[in-house]
Amino acid sequence: MTFGKLIERIIQLIPVLLGVSLIVFIMTLLTPGDPVQIMLGDQLVTDDLERSLRRDMGLDLPPHERFFTFLANAAQGDFGTSFYHRQPVWDVIASRLPATIELSLMALLVALVTSIPLGVLAAVKKDSIYDRLATVGSLFGVSMPGFWFGILLLLLFSVHLRWLPVSGNASFASQVDPITHLLLVDALLRGRFDAFWDALKHIILPAITLGLPMTAILMRVTRASMLDVLNRDYITFAEAKGLGKFQILAKHALKNALIPTVTVAAIETGSLLGGNMVVETVFGWPGLGRLVVESIFTRNFPLIQAAVLLYAVTYVLLNFIADIIYTILNPRVKL
Amino acid sequence: MRDEILQIDELKTCFDTRDGLVTAVDGVTLAVERGTTLGVVGESGSGKSVTFSSVMGLVKKPGFIAEGSIRFNGRELVGLDRKDLQRLRGKDIAMTMQDALTALNPAYTVSEQIVEVLLAHDDSLTGSRRAKRKQALDQALDMMRLVGIPSAETRLHDYPHQFSGGMRQRIMIAIALACRPKLLIADEPTTALDVTIQAQVLELIADIQRKLQMSVVLITHDLGVVAEYCDNVVVMYAGQVIEQGPTRDVINRPQHPYTQGLLGSIPRLSDLSRKIDPIRGTVPELKNLPTICRFMERCKRAHSSCRSRIAMQSVEADWLVRCISPGEEGKA
Amino acid sequence: MTAVDSMETAAMARSETLFGRNLRNFASNKVSVLFLFITFGFVLTAIAAPLIAPHDPNEADLFRRLLPPAWMSGGSWEFPLGCDALGRDILSRIIYGSRVSIFIGLAVILVATTIGVLAGLAAGYLKGWVDVVISRLVDILLGFPYLIFAIALIAMTGPGLQNIILALAYKEWVIPCRVVRGETLATAGAEYVEAAHALGASKSNIMLREILPNIMSPVLVVSTVRMAHVIILEASLSFLGIGVQPPTASWGSMVADGRSFMLNEWWLATFPGLAILLLVLSINVVSQGLRDAFDPKFHD
Repeated sequence: MTFGKLIERIIQLIPVLLGVSLIVFIMTLLTPGDPVQIMLGDQLVTDDLERSLRRDMGLDLPPHERFFTFLANAAQGDFGTSFYHRQPVWDVIASRLPATIELSLMALLVALVTSIPLGVLAAVKKDSIYDRLATVGSLFGVSMPGFWFGILLLLLFSVHLRWLPVSGNASFASQVDPITHLLLVDALLRGRFDAFWDALKHIILPAITLGLPMTAILMRVTRASMLDVLNRDYITFAEAKGLGKFQILAKHALKNALIPTVTVAAIETGSLLGGNMVVETVFGWPGLGRLVVESIFTRNFPLIQAAVLLYAVTYVLLNFIADIIYTILNPRVKL
Repeated sequence: MRDEILQIDELKTCFDTRDGLVTAVDGVTLAVERGTTLGVVGESGSGKSVTFSSVMGLVKKPGFIAEGSIRFNGRELVGLDRKDLQRLRGKDIAMTMQDALTALNPAYTVSEQIVEVLLAHDDSLTGSRRAKRKQALDQALDMMRLVGIPSAETRLHDYPHQFSGGMRQRIMIAIALACRPKLLIADEPTTALDVTIQAQVLELIADIQRKLQMSVVLITHDLGVVAEYCDNVVVMYAGQVIEQGPTRDVINRPQHPYTQGLLGSIPRLSDLSRKIDPIRGTVPELKNLPTICRFMERCKRAHSSCRSRIAMQSVEADWLVRCISPGEEGKA
Repeated sequence: MTAVDSMETAAMARSETLFGRNLRNFASNKVSVLFLFITFGFVLTAIAAPLIAPHDPNEADLFRRLLPPAWMSGGSWEFPLGCDALGRDILSRIIYGSRVSIFIGLAVILVATTIGVLAGLAAGYLKGWVDVVISRLVDILLGFPYLIFAIALIAMTGPGLQNIILALAYKEWVIPCRVVRGETLATAGAEYVEAAHALGASKSNIMLREILPNIMSPVLVVSTVRMAHVIILEASLSFLGIGVQPPTASWGSMVADGRSFMLNEWWLATFPGLAILLLVLSINVVSQGLRDAFDPKFHD
């Protein structure tokens, strides 16, 4: 892919991002009640003070000007103040973001390392009992309600077997001075293997729960694309060349078969973002998803808006990255 | 005593499909003499490709070799261990496929695809893995020059899709010939190509055959190609050989009505007044076939005694035909 | 006039035979048919909930608080799956909870499919600025992760059945729309469409009478698989406490309520979760069967 094409693609993102922002902005207009009243709660203030507050918040402007103000502020990371936390919204979000990023990456990792070998095996042993089990398993995977699956895992591994902790992302004893704010990475950087092990024990169940639907989907995709690839002429030709069975599978088949898998994985990473709220609630994970859920009950609308915008922008960028990955992996596709 | 590099006897290859057992190759017997070119002609579904997939050991499930023998250089291939067969493939017997675009792996450069076959088979490579790879790369470059890729050294690390159709076909031939095989099976080498490029590719194969002292099987449905490049010809129909012999004889005086039909459906510049005479009907389905002449339903000469088992009979030495009333058109 | 009529009958006869053959294909798959019956079983349960449920789902009685299922010691066959923290019969609540899941699932898919099919037909057949506007809107809505979009909308508009359905349908219509647009683009060049056009049929007539019947198969596949998804989304919203509000029984909120008792009273959260899994699984199997039956590419 040429640099020019890349720029072209990036420019194509702009209308989508603008549209996404517009919809988030329209959501703010739907908010019931008067923002100033909500902010003030039961406090009695003079009309003058209320008017000046209204002016400060830009509420006296016509909607289109308010949209531009909203955009300009959002671009600077200014989403207003979270009165509940008595902090700027962005600071609250930023403090919760690393935990969510770490969990999402771990879920992606779990999904990739389980789905690809399982999918390849199902394709290679097509119609065997193993293949059937894999198909049934993936059906269960996409049909499983995440919150219930998480609870079952907790019940088994944390409550009954007592192997794993019930909630949170780290024990108090194994705190590490932050560098990246990703606990697993920080623990390794600081050489604290006890903390690493502790963080791993905390993250594994939420990561499996979050990654389950993705695992199921990726397994199906890998199986299907592997079956397709194994029927291609270049596999027969590789056999005719007298290459070994493993070399044919691992080199000739897998590289082609993984193109759809990786593309779908990149797209589905966005859907991990959606699953965050449920999984973080079940496992008491101190991330952005749980913050959003809490904010609904505290009617913390500025925070919800900022989070929705952040999720949406991330989602759009992930899809963009999926596109780029697809082009890089597949030398035949020209943008 | 004749010197055969490949001898196939009564080969029967079946496919166990949902609709029943399909016998794609039914009792094929043929031989390739060392240093010569054998043309194998037939419509699609005649079993010509499956016959040579059987030779390569590449018949995939649900297909299997039910009976018969395949001897290569005196060695029996049917029932050979998978590892031994693998050692033979690409080294002593090589194959090219119909469409190089689909036969070359799109995800790897052409040099990689030549190098890997050398690394798999070439015992003359020595030293560390890196050293071997370096030598293989040099050989790959030689091969690309041999098959006539212009400015080969700059194109070595290109991907297959960056080459034209004719160049891709040459690269596939380079891969097949990289280990100097004794026998090359070229499956429809020209079907996917433009007419002008077809001749170039066939000339290339013939040229290399002379240089490398190789034997060639040319699978095609084009009798014109056979007439031009093959010493002997085998005509297949519905899984059986129906006529075989020296090309010159078979083309000039075809004995089987099907061979005559094949020749009749080629328009000839020399004889434009002659009406093109296509063969009526279609190839029969290959399951539950009765043991009668399979061409009967489409044959102008069919009569009641064709409803029995038809064996090959000799026309002249080396020239066999599967018909009870063989003979040239109009004379039978 | 007669010519147009006969064209239409011809088109319908053709689509009917294709659709009919597809359905026959589906019926020959025993597993799919079995799960279709299970799905219907859930629907019947939802409709007939007042007749089937052994108890009032909201009737609390603290004397039978956390009563275990019938087969455990202390259980009673009067309350086969036990009782929850307020002493309400779990089985009855599951039976009534199916109403929420199925009603919301059906309503969302109905609304979304209707909008999506019309928008997709318009975009794919009329093309031009209509297509541009619809496709841009689709792109933008696809930019939101599903659950967060629905949660934000509900947070703004407040919970309640109608708001939940709208919050989910706002984004859901995009999916059938994309499918229908693609299929319409592929179908619009077909001979019978051009023939109808040549005979002077109106655009809306062509879209609804000629194209629509021929793209019903993919629409049906998409709506079933999406319905399974919407049911999980609704359950997730209820689990988070922003779905259907108490005391209405819904499977998601039953699991949420049972969470804190899972140490000893595991049945509170287990059975409603099982109900979600079984319903969603059944719909997914049916959908898979439909896809296999409709799409020749999936045959060997």
